[in-house]
Amino acid sequence: MASVAAPAPPSNQHPIKGVQPLRAGEGNSFVLRRLHSLTGIVPIGAFLVEHIISNIEIVHGPLAYAQQVKFLNGLPLVRVLEWAFIFIPLAFHALYGVYIAIKGRPNVNVYPWAGNWMYLSQRVTGILALAYIIQHLYFQRFTGVSLPEHPGLAYWKVQYELSNPLMVAVYVIGMVVTCWHFAYGVWLFAAKWGITPGDRARKKFGWVCGVFGTVLCAAGLWSIIAIVNAPAVPFEDVMPAQQPGVMAPTVPVQNESQQQPPLTQQQ
Amino acid sequence: MAETKVAPKTIRVEVKRQATPETAAFVEKFEFPYRSGMNITSLLGEIAMAPVTTEGKQTTAVTYDSNCLEEICGSCAMLITGKARMACSALVDKLMAETKDGVISLAPLTKFPVVRDLAVDRSVLFENLKKVQAWVPIDGSYDLGPGPRQFPQIQEERYPLSNCISCTICMEVCPQFNEATGFVGAATIAQAKLFNMDPAGAVLKEERLRALAGDGGIQECGFAQNCVQACPKQLPLTEAISDMGRDVFVQQVKDFFAR
Repeated sequence: MASVAAPAPPSNQHPIKGVQPLRAGEGNSFVLRRLHSLTGIVPIGAFLVEHIISNIEIVHGPLAYAQQVKFLNGLPLVRVLEWAFIFIPLAFHALYGVYIAIKGRPNVNVYPWAGNWMYLSQRVTGILALAYIIQHLYFQRFTGVSLPEHPGLAYWKVQYELSNPLMVAVYVIGMVVTCWHFAYGVWLFAAKWGITPGDRARKKFGWVCGVFGTVLCAAGLWSIIAIVNAPAVPFEDVMPAQQPGVMAPTVPVQNESQQQPPLTQQQ
Repeated sequence: MAETKVAPKTIRVEVKRQATPETAAFVEKFEFPYRSGMNITSLLGEIAMAPVTTEGKQTTAVTYDSNCLEEICGSCAMLITGKARMACSALVDKLMAETKDGVISLAPLTKFPVVRDLAVDRSVLFENLKKVQAWVPIDGSYDLGPGPRQFPQIQEERYPLSNCISCTICMEVCPQFNEATGFVGAATIAQAKLFNMDPAGAVLKEERLRALAGDGGIQECGFAQNCVQACPKQLPLTEAISDMGRDVFVQQVKDFFAR
C-alpha cells in the first residue's frame, strides 16, 4: 500500500460558460460591500444630516450662519475630522459605488416593478449626487473665499453662488437626489444587514425612511429658498478675524442706546 | 378591432432558435388554428406535430427542457413574451391578451449559455448549491439512527423554502446576476437557509455562511426584489437573503476575531 494518498483525480467537470459559480470563501468583496453600506450611514449619512441642520441657520441671517460655520470649524482637530469622517469615507463610498453601479445590469424595461425601479434609482441618484458633490466641494470648499478662515463670509459666498438660476437648479436637484439616495440607502441597509427581514417589517420601515427622507429634503430646500429669496448681502465679513488668543464675543456689541450690559467674560 | 379580441382565429408564435451553442440565433414564425385553454407546453407540442413555419418552410421541432409539465420540476423556464416564466404554467389565452399584437414570442433565458433552441445550460445553479453544501450530511458507514426532532414552527418556516424547483427564474430576472458580478443568486441563498434551519443540516451552518461571504456571494444582492416577484413558487426569497445577510455578517465578525 502506498504510504501517501494518491492525488485527487483530475476534475471531470467541464468549465461553465456564462455566469461563474460562487467563489466560496475567496476574495474580500463581502467586507468592501458591507463597508460601503456602513459608510453610507455612518459617517456620510450622519454628516449629511448635520450639514442640512446647520444650513437651517441661514434662515436666521448672515451672522447666525457665520457662527455655525465658525463653531464647526472650531471643533478640536477639525481638519483631521474632516478628512477621516467626511472626505476619505465619501471618496471610498463614491468610487466603490460607481464600481457597483457599473457591474449591475438594470432591466426595468422588462420587469417594471417598484423594487426594480428603486434599484435603478439608487444607482442614478448616487451618480448624480457624486457629480453634485464634486462641484459643491470644488466651488464652496476648495476655491473662492476660504470659509474656515473667514466664516463671516459664508452667507455671502453661498448667496453669490445661488445668484445664478442655473446653480439654484443644480442645488435643488442635488438636494433631492442626495436625500433620496440616503433615505433609500437606510432602507437598503436595514434590509441587507437583516434588521428588517420580513416583508411587513420592510414595508413599515419603507414608510419610516420615506418620511425621514422627505423631511430631510424639505429642510434642505427650505434653506436654499431662504437664501435665494433673502436680500443680497454685500461682500463684507460679518465676523472679522479676532486677534489670536483673544476670547472675543461673537455677538456684535449692541447699540449704546439699548442699555445692554457690556458683554464680558462669562463667569 | 373587437372581433380579434373576442374570437382569435389563430395563435401566432415567434420562436428564437439556435441549432448549436456556437451558431447564430434566428427567429421562426408559426401559426396554428386557435384552441382555448392551451399553455406554452401544448403550443410547443403543436409545433412538434407539424413543424412548418408560417412561410411554409419545413423545420424541426423546438428543443426545450421539460419533464413534469405541472410546474414542479423547474425545467421549462424560458422567456415568454420577453419575461422569464415557466412554459407549463404560462397560459396562451392570457398571453395573447397581454401582448399588443397577440403574437407570443418565445426565447431562451438570457443569462445562461444556450444549448439548442430554448434549452439552456443551468449547471451554474448546481455548482452553487454544491458550494454551499445544500444538503443534510447523513452519509456514513454506519446507521446514524433517527434524525433529530423538528418543531412544527421550524417546519412551517422551512416548508416554503423547500418548494424551490431550481428553475433559475430568480437568477434570470436579477439585475445583479451577470458575468460581471458572478452573483450566486437568490435560489442558492434560500437553500442555504433551508438547510441551516434543519436540525441535522445545521452542522454545516458555519461552512455555508463562510461560502456565501466569498466573491459573488450574498453581498452582491442589490435588493431589486425581482426574484421574489418572479418566483413561480412564491418563495420568501428576500426574507431569506435578509436573514442570511445577517447570519453571514455575524459569522464573518466571529471569524475575524477568532483568527
